[in-house]
Amino acid sequence: MTVVVCIKQVPDSTNVRIDPRTNTLMREGVESILNPFDAFALEQGLALKDALGVRLVAVSMGPPQAAAVLREALACGADEAFLVSSRAFGGADTLATSYTLSRAIRTACGGRPDLVLFGKQAIDGDTAQVGPGVSEFLDLPLVTYVKALSVTPDAAFRVTTSMDDGEHVIEGRLPAVMTVTKDAAPPRFAPLAGAMRAAKAKITVLDEKAIAADPIRIGLTGSPTKVVTIFPPPVKGGGRKIEWRGDAAALAHEIREAIHG
Amino acid sequence: MIETDVLIVGAGPAGLATAISLKRCGFAGRVVVIDKGCAVGSHVLSGAVMDPAGFRELLTEEEIAKLPVEAHVNRESFRFIFGAKASMPIPWVPPMMQAHGFPVGSLTKVARYLASIAERLGAEVYTGYAVTELIERDGVVVGARTGEKGLAADGRPKSNHLASEEIAAKVTVLAEGGAGVLTDRLVEAKGLAGRRPQSYAIAVKELIELAEPVAGSGGTIMHTFGYPVNLWTYGGGFVYHVSDSRVMVGYALGLDYIDATLDVHEIFRRYKATGAVGRHISGGKAVAYGAKVIPEGGFYAMPRPHALGALIVGDGAGLLDGLRIKGIHIAIESGIAAAAAIAETSADAAAVGERYHALLRATRGYAEVRRVKNVHGGFTRGAPFGVAMAGLAWATFGRFPFWMFGRRHRDSETMRELRPGALEAAARCAADPAIRAFPDRLTDVFMSGTLHEEDQPCHLHLVDPARCEACERRFGSPCTRFCPAEVYRRDEGRLRIDFSNCLHCKTCRIKCPLENVEWRFPQGGDGPRYTMM
Repeated sequence: MTVVVCIKQVPDSTNVRIDPRTNTLMREGVESILNPFDAFALEQGLALKDALGVRLVAVSMGPPQAAAVLREALACGADEAFLVSSRAFGGADTLATSYTLSRAIRTACGGRPDLVLFGKQAIDGDTAQVGPGVSEFLDLPLVTYVKALSVTPDAAFRVTTSMDDGEHVIEGRLPAVMTVTKDAAPPRFAPLAGAMRAAKAKITVLDEKAIAADPIRIGLTGSPTKVVTIFPPPVKGGGRKIEWRGDAAALAHEIREAIHG
Repeated sequence: MIETDVLIVGAGPAGLATAISLKRCGFAGRVVVIDKGCAVGSHVLSGAVMDPAGFRELLTEEEIAKLPVEAHVNRESFRFIFGAKASMPIPWVPPMMQAHGFPVGSLTKVARYLASIAERLGAEVYTGYAVTELIERDGVVVGARTGEKGLAADGRPKSNHLASEEIAAKVTVLAEGGAGVLTDRLVEAKGLAGRRPQSYAIAVKELIELAEPVAGSGGTIMHTFGYPVNLWTYGGGFVYHVSDSRVMVGYALGLDYIDATLDVHEIFRRYKATGAVGRHISGGKAVAYGAKVIPEGGFYAMPRPHALGALIVGDGAGLLDGLRIKGIHIAIESGIAAAAAIAETSADAAAVGERYHALLRATRGYAEVRRVKNVHGGFTRGAPFGVAMAGLAWATFGRFPFWMFGRRHRDSETMRELRPGALEAAARCAADPAIRAFPDRLTDVFMSGTLHEEDQPCHLHLVDPARCEACERRFGSPCTRFCPAEVYRRDEGRLRIDFSNCLHCKTCRIKCPLENVEWRFPQGGDGPRYTMM
């Protein structure tokens, strides 16, 4: 059984600042981290590896430095890692990304995997669209908001999902695509010995040729949506507090003054 | 079991210099550097005006040209500050104190750069793992152990518990920085302490972004002494323009101070409110903050920097020029000496220590530390005396006096008991709106990026909680004031410890008047996340 976990490197949003003059992200002083939701997806994959001995494949799409998150996955116990990286993929929106990843997953597994895991969303774009998009391109059933997952050796699965109205329990049969929430089991830590192994491990880079991608469906060309501008919303003022001092008329007067200036 | 030839604990300038130098001198064995920060440099902080002597010995011309610094010192001054509005430049500065042409910038960034060189040369650097214990066999250090991860607050393993791992090493190099826990434990256990107990200063620092760049201001530096502390207290500040739009402002307070009411962060705010500093940062906004201790005890406080199987490099070995408050270049030189000793002896635990010590003594940095051996001593007899002595040391290029001088107390022993009303008087001074215009302590803590898993055992262990009540009566809980990160606070009549604020500076374990704080390691990867300090 082959399980793919898709992970993304994102800027650590706790520290992101926007240059007020240019409205661009100031990358200096901002660490790149594994998308926190993806860490929970990885944990589900690792748990399946512990339970069933599945082959666990980590896939990430991004610039060369995104290899760092793949090494984290390898350090935790993933078997193989693929970095989907090429200038041709630059500027991809969620549609082009979903297409590209679905091609890369097929290449990495040599066919269709039994299970593809995603974090519910990435903390930089917050779209939550790529997991569902990949399920469309791979033509696989989709389960979102997964908080617990078990799979039997004959590929029957049972998941619990967190929804607004409570928890849903869903049963089915693999293959499937699932997106995992932060209610799931907390991610494990990579042992130092694992980090040492991962530092030397091979990461296969997949470009547009390796995944036999259709050139008009990738990168900026393949993206029907474009980011036009990015700007921080105007900072709201602190407002003004008008206190009740025991006199209704005075209070009404004060409010009227505040409204009409 | 992980096996390596050399294990280096701490990825700061000293540890990384050891790794780079080992690979440069052709050492074929495995070299592993481990740091408890989440990334290289995240626990590295300094002013920093860097004496380039160390880089010249360690790096190639080409590598020096690529050092990640934006400015070199081109204008420097020393000022004595009398008060909020009055200060005076010092007319004569001995040539040895001058820093013209020295790179000025972020040591965090420099550490990252050094790590990239070390890795390129074949050393391995791992971050996010705390080395919490040395392993000894028959009195020889034979490696170390990493800390567990995934323990709950009550100490029980959580579902993602990670066990401790053992690393066997022929030589373990401790490059933990000032007040390192493993270093201090080794010094204590092996009787390596110097003739005088180590003494520290706590330094706090902000990176300030100016509203508009000031053309040509990059490379301007200023050192000050005097106000906001009185003449009985050892302290001084610095203002470094690291580029045309960014200024590092910092203050270092000697931890042998006697006044229990002193509040390091409030002194820092007061410092920024002075005219002397204000003109450099007006309209600017702080974007980063950090704190760290500096070992200031000088030559006589240096421990013997080796035990069987273990070497101590950098700040942990007390290698700091106490007159210039410069240690980065000496840390690098000590790393180079350690590397040479390891290579020459083929990492032989029995022979490497003495060889390292001999090579260290031959470095220029060591000679510098020896030359200014008594700068700290004068201050142990009160600051007026210290200032006079420092003046003489200044005039004699650090040589005077020539014999070992000064008292031998620990920083925890110097504090005097509180007089009634003293805290209230201090609070009245702190209410000044000019001071309160600067970020408060918690805002600064936020800007340090510090982060700790909340559900883990508290790493600041009170030896006897009852002592804290005695301390409250006698000293008014000075930890609530000397901690630069608001870890300690009094709440509902008892001391509370918000360990997740901790910046790993170790001031509490140094200055607690009842020596009641035992610093244990939080989960590896936790702590400050400096990126520009």
